[in-house]
Amino acid sequence: MQRKACLLAGAAALALSFGGPAMAEDSSDPIIIPIHNWSSQIVMSHILGEMLTENGNSVEFVSADSQAVYEAIRLGDVHLQVEVWEGAFAESFDAARAQGGIHAAGAHDAITREEWWYPLWVKDQCPGLPDWEALNACAEIFATPETGDRGRFLGGPVDWLKNDHERVEAMDLNFTVVNAGSAAALWAELAAAERNETPIVLFNWTPNFAEAVWPGEFVEFPPWEEGCLACGHPADGYLKIAAWDGMQENWPSAYAILSRLNFTNPQIAEMARLVDVEGLDPEDAAIAWMEENEDTWRAWMN
Amino acid sequence: MSASLDQHAASVGNRSHPLQTWQILLALAFVLAVGKALLPPGLVRPPEWMILPFDDWINAAFDFIRNDLGLVVVTRAIADGIEWCLDVTGNLLYGRNRWPRIGPVPWSVVLVSMTMLGYALGGWRLAALAGGTILWIAVMGQWRWSMETLSVILVAAPVSVLLGLVTGVAAWRWRAFERVLNPLLNIAQSMPHFAYMIPVVVFIGVGPKAGAVVTIIFSVPPMIRLTLLGLRKVPSEVVEAGKMSGASQWNLLTRVRIPTARTEILIGVNQVIMQCLAMVVLASFIGMPGLGQRLLQMLQALRIGPAFEIGITIVLIAVTLDRLSRAWAMRKPVHHNPGTSWARRHRLWLIWAGLAVAAWLLAQMVPYFHIVARGQALSLAGPINAVVNAFLDVVSPFTEALRRFLIVQVLIPFRDAILWLPYTTVLAVVAAAGWALGGWRSALVCLAFIVPIAMTGWWDRAMITVYTVLTAVTVAALFGIPCGIWAAGKPSRARRTLLVCDTLQTFPSFIYLIPVVMLFGVSDVAVLAAVMVFAAVPLVRYTVEGLTGIAPEMLEAGQMNGATRWQALRHIRLPLAFPTLLVGFNQSVMFALFMVIIAAFIGTQDLGQEMQRALSATDVGKGLVLGFAVAFLGLMVDHLLMRWSDRVRTGNRRRQGAA
Amino acid sequence: MADPVIRCRNVWKAFGPDPAGHVRAVEGGAPLNADGHVVAVRDVSLEVRRGEMLVVMGLSGSGKSTLVRCLSRLIDVTGGQITIEGQDIGALSERDLIALRRRKMGMVFQSFGLLPNRTVLENVAFPLEMRGQERGARIARARAMLELVGLAEREDYYPRELSGGQQQRVGIARSLAIEPEIWFLDEPFSALDPLIRKEMQDEFLRLKALSERAIVFITHDFDEALRLADRIAIMKDGAIEQCDTADRIVLDPATEYVARFTAGVDRARVVHAGALIQPLNGVAVEGPPVASGDTIRVLARRLIEDERGLIPVADASGRVVGALQRKAALDLLVGEAP
Repeated sequence: MQRKACLLAGAAALALSFGGPAMAEDSSDPIIIPIHNWSSQIVMSHILGEMLTENGNSVEFVSADSQAVYEAIRLGDVHLQVEVWEGAFAESFDAARAQGGIHAAGAHDAITREEWWYPLWVKDQCPGLPDWEALNACAEIFATPETGDRGRFLGGPVDWLKNDHERVEAMDLNFTVVNAGSAAALWAELAAAERNETPIVLFNWTPNFAEAVWPGEFVEFPPWEEGCLACGHPADGYLKIAAWDGMQENWPSAYAILSRLNFTNPQIAEMARLVDVEGLDPEDAAIAWMEENEDTWRAWMN
Repeated sequence: MSASLDQHAASVGNRSHPLQTWQILLALAFVLAVGKALLPPGLVRPPEWMILPFDDWINAAFDFIRNDLGLVVVTRAIADGIEWCLDVTGNLLYGRNRWPRIGPVPWSVVLVSMTMLGYALGGWRLAALAGGTILWIAVMGQWRWSMETLSVILVAAPVSVLLGLVTGVAAWRWRAFERVLNPLLNIAQSMPHFAYMIPVVVFIGVGPKAGAVVTIIFSVPPMIRLTLLGLRKVPSEVVEAGKMSGASQWNLLTRVRIPTARTEILIGVNQVIMQCLAMVVLASFIGMPGLGQRLLQMLQALRIGPAFEIGITIVLIAVTLDRLSRAWAMRKPVHHNPGTSWARRHRLWLIWAGLAVAAWLLAQMVPYFHIVARGQALSLAGPINAVVNAFLDVVSPFTEALRRFLIVQVLIPFRDAILWLPYTTVLAVVAAAGWALGGWRSALVCLAFIVPIAMTGWWDRAMITVYTVLTAVTVAALFGIPCGIWAAGKPSRARRTLLVCDTLQTFPSFIYLIPVVMLFGVSDVAVLAAVMVFAAVPLVRYTVEGLTGIAPEMLEAGQMNGATRWQALRHIRLPLAFPTLLVGFNQSVMFALFMVIIAAFIGTQDLGQEMQRALSATDVGKGLVLGFAVAFLGLMVDHLLMRWSDRVRTGNRRRQGAA
Repeated sequence: MADPVIRCRNVWKAFGPDPAGHVRAVEGGAPLNADGHVVAVRDVSLEVRRGEMLVVMGLSGSGKSTLVRCLSRLIDVTGGQITIEGQDIGALSERDLIALRRRKMGMVFQSFGLLPNRTVLENVAFPLEMRGQERGARIARARAMLELVGLAEREDYYPRELSGGQQQRVGIARSLAIEPEIWFLDEPFSALDPLIRKEMQDEFLRLKALSERAIVFITHDFDEALRLADRIAIMKDGAIEQCDTADRIVLDPATEYVARFTAGVDRARVVHAGALIQPLNGVAVEGPPVASGDTIRVLARRLIEDERGLIPVADASGRVVGALQRKAALDLLVGEAP
């Protein structure tokens, strides 16, 4: 069965080389989609993968570091990235764009924000929130054995490269940054804190399933400015789609689908929820989401 | 008798000597620590002027080599060649859509082949192991990931072997080359895995080919070492016989030396395969697909059930590959009786061909035997999760209390104490240790290793690493050495323990994180536990080896003198085993260092964490500086412990001679 | 007599940082082993002719193995000259040396030096393979050699599947595969147990008789030397103490050291009638002669029963070459000095 598909693809490639550029067909080479270490990105990548497979493309997934990926796209080692968060990746993305080879193929409607965050039960214990000065004033209630007198800020995995350490230093906050090993470790800590309503402040973002499970608020830091360490992250960041420059030429129809991709905050949160709360495998979560939202993604197909 | 008197007199003489240099150094360290408040800041923390921007220099050098010299073109061309090989194995093993587009080979065919291979190399037991592993992988629905991993090993291992062989032969042939190579190998083998990844990412990028390249680089050193060893060990008479047979230099190498060094070279192959597996799993950090990636995802998602399953798969693969390649290395040729027919001589090949064709036909008819689809796979994840959860419910109050106690009462105070020490104190202590064990020369060597660390500006991070390793190795020694002593009590027990240690050491280091994450979650204590377990294995092993390796007449002499078991242990066996034990400590520290760095991704605050950040930011300079810092720490400990071991060993010998 | 096949003149071999300088110093009277130098061969001169077998005997560390390696140029000498059929082997290029070994030399080693990955047959064929002989021919030749040493049945075996004695037979077969004119044997039987050793010595004598070669045989076993040798060179500290026939060594040891070796030897088993003869000088001796090649031990009964004071001795062709003093022979037989 599979072999037959290969043969067909091969024949198509042959036809292409004889037929000349007039017949713009997608190349039979696989489109390589990078996978990162947060759930919605993985699920979205698989959704795209399913769509492209249905479109007749061959697709491969590789896991990649979420910062290094832009350099890889630029070189054509991987071909796209479906979730470029402004707060986290704008710097790497822009740096790669400046060198050429990579561009934004589209943008989601979703608005992103990544920031220090607390669940609502903390608000009673530390009056004056969400202001950051109020947070700093009651830092000691966040203290843990590891951090001694200072409050603990639970950061994301180090490879997300948030400037938390630098911010703590620049703003002279009474906090120590402890990095969780993974997103799941963040939620595990949050769930554990919920049991006794222990005060906790951690890294969180939207769109994310966590907003549905644990109501909470972002801490308000001074508004974002380019290159300012004593400021917050962008409050209404973009969520873009990055693509390799060669993609449009090699796989025109796949590229068209990619550029039509457009998810909203609730949709993305739902994807994350399927994995992080329901415990589905990302592949299964992608299929489950596609079954639920057939109209949405059908509209983006050719 | 008189010799021992002399020695005694000499040691008394030493003792009456006013003060030894190392004691002065130690006193100096003490004074520096006590008088910390009075010290100028430049003696407490490395002063600004002392910290050199090594990372900027390295970055500049890399930029120059990469872009201005255009080496990136070369490396990417090499990587493309490797990618082509990966495409072929990828197509054959898991049907990647690349030339030659005939894969994937049905799992049933692989099952038959591996079982036959196991049988040919090591009889039914090995056949069962190899077959069982393949069956587990296929039935548990882990085929694709496992084959992704194996397809890389299939490319990386032969390339490594070839590179290692050629380099090893060159080092054997040209003394000067060996002299240059040796220190490089020492550093390479004490650099943590991550340090290798960053330059590779710079030159090659991320993804499977980068993973393959880093795997190759990482696994070459042991092959070089063993090739060299094997060539050195070829009996001189065999070489002379070759010469007298009129062999030219080339003939001597290819037909006499290398075939005669077969066993060592094949043990090198075994090492390469095991290193490849360890690295391939870790290379998931730079985009290597397969089991490692899957395990990483599952661990990060804290999904213990699936993580556990993958862990079992990795362990099974490791043990199988290890046993197969070792059986191959140890295999001795056996003659056929004259007149044996062709079919009989090639009996195993024929059976294999028949079974493979049968399996292939079966796979064509029943798709299950071709590929086990997602829905058809068995999974133990549910039951494992249930068991683990039940287990955790029971132990979690205990582990939680333990964790809290360790953090508050032990770890934090100890860490703060180490961080509180002025760096000059640490330098003085290191110099004192060097001087005490190996004179001024060793003191200088140790300083040469540790002063650059102070100059990198990562002093505090390095001290956290030191603290983690120290704590872990100490705790590991506290239960590892008694374990070893107990195991050495009976020969059969000793043998079994060594086998267990052997097997544990074949596991890729990543595996050790699964149970600790399960028990302690993602925390400091989990890191410590993983490091501890990993570091305990060599300690147990060398304790057993040290205690069982004592000449029986020494023990008999003790028995004749009426020593009780405890006295024999305390006064005869332990002192004699001590040098071996020190070697165990040495390896334990090395393992701990490696593990600390790997464990970075479950949240540490030491060099490892910074290294992971450097990896994410593709900051070669920083990554290499950190890598060298770790390597230097390791080399320093290595130097000290080996010196000590040598000293004790010659001391033991002298004492025996005197007796 | 024919020219010597191997001639060795004032050969020195020293190991250490500056071997040549050290040899000059020793020649000038400096101590033998100093400054990390070791002198293994010291001013050795000897000759071996075609059809002659020289046994080099010495205790371990006496330099005998080094000497044989100098003769085959497995190691280069520090001083002196070694010629093979008039050719200075120290001056040979790598290529010529290989050619010389391929044509003329065979060597047997103490621990056999077999290639573990090749069958017995392939081991024996190895020198022929190196010589570039075509496969069929070399297999046939190797089979013939195995036949000769009685291992034809074992040709498909691997060395480790054979006993020590059998392995050494393979070593011998390999060394003879190219029909060497010069045959070196470096303690070939030392690693074997005594019974096998005796058997192998007989085997060796049989093979030796098959063709005329120049043979250098190394041993540390004086009895073995006496049993096999045409001439024996006794080495001590790298130098040759005495180089002579077995009879002369036993009857007339040149140094104290050699005398100590011969002290425990049953001379009657070693000394031949021919070695004890006095010239006739016109004196008529009567009665049947004894053969000059028989040892006194062999002649024991006749010596006791014979009543003549002088017994005629005849060489292999039956010509009387001299007379044996019966009393001297009997003294030797009962172990008293002649």
